[in-house]
Amino acid sequence: MKNRLRVLRAEKNWTQAELAELVGVSRQAIMAVENGKYDPALPLAFRLARAFGKTVEEVFVWDEPASLTPGGQHFEKEG
Amino acid sequence: MCRGHTPLITRNSIEPISTLLIVLCFATAIDIGAGWLLGRPGFEPHTRIVFALLPIPANLVLVGLIVRSIRNLDEFLRHVHLEAIAIAFLLTGLAVFVYGYLEKARAVRALNMGTVWIFMTLFYGIGYVIAARHYR
Repeated sequence: MKNRLRVLRAEKNWTQAELAELVGVSRQAIMAVENGKYDPALPLAFRLARAFGKTVEEVFVWDEPASLTPGGQHFEKEG
Repeated sequence: MCRGHTPLITRNSIEPISTLLIVLCFATAIDIGAGWLLGRPGFEPHTRIVFALLPIPANLVLVGLIVRSIRNLDEFLRHVHLEAIAIAFLLTGLAVFVYGYLEKARAVRALNMGTVWIFMTLFYGIGYVIAARHYR
């Protein structure tokens, strides 16, 4: 899963620590999410999105495997 | 705090480390005290049992504080600590297993069970460093 956290945070001119405090997690958590090392659970994803005034889909982009897209292997088998 | 914003949640995420350290020191002092009393002659058997059980209450408080600290961690830190605990658990198992065989081979002396706790603490530290680096 990809995310736009770093870009959105830069737009707001917030530090990682400030964003972490705003959503109630550690700075390490924000760093791990920004670096794509950790995918947050839904409650944190919603809190992050809400902090930027965005929807979850505007902040997090699901990197869908080809097999799960229409026309991919998974769908072809079902068809 | 971010300018012009109020936090979405206000709960403090981590137990103050000072509370844990104070209770840890207190529990350790009782552990050492109980050990010292048990090493002295002249006590009745039932008194010695009381001395042996003396460390339990303070250590139970310590366990409760640690569990509460873990529950107050955010989801990411819980993830890191879970990996650290898993690494510590498995490496301690491996160390005890290997030591047991070395003991059978008469290459080492019988294992003092107290050292298992030291192994666990050491491997927990190693596990934490590995897990924290992985998510950096």
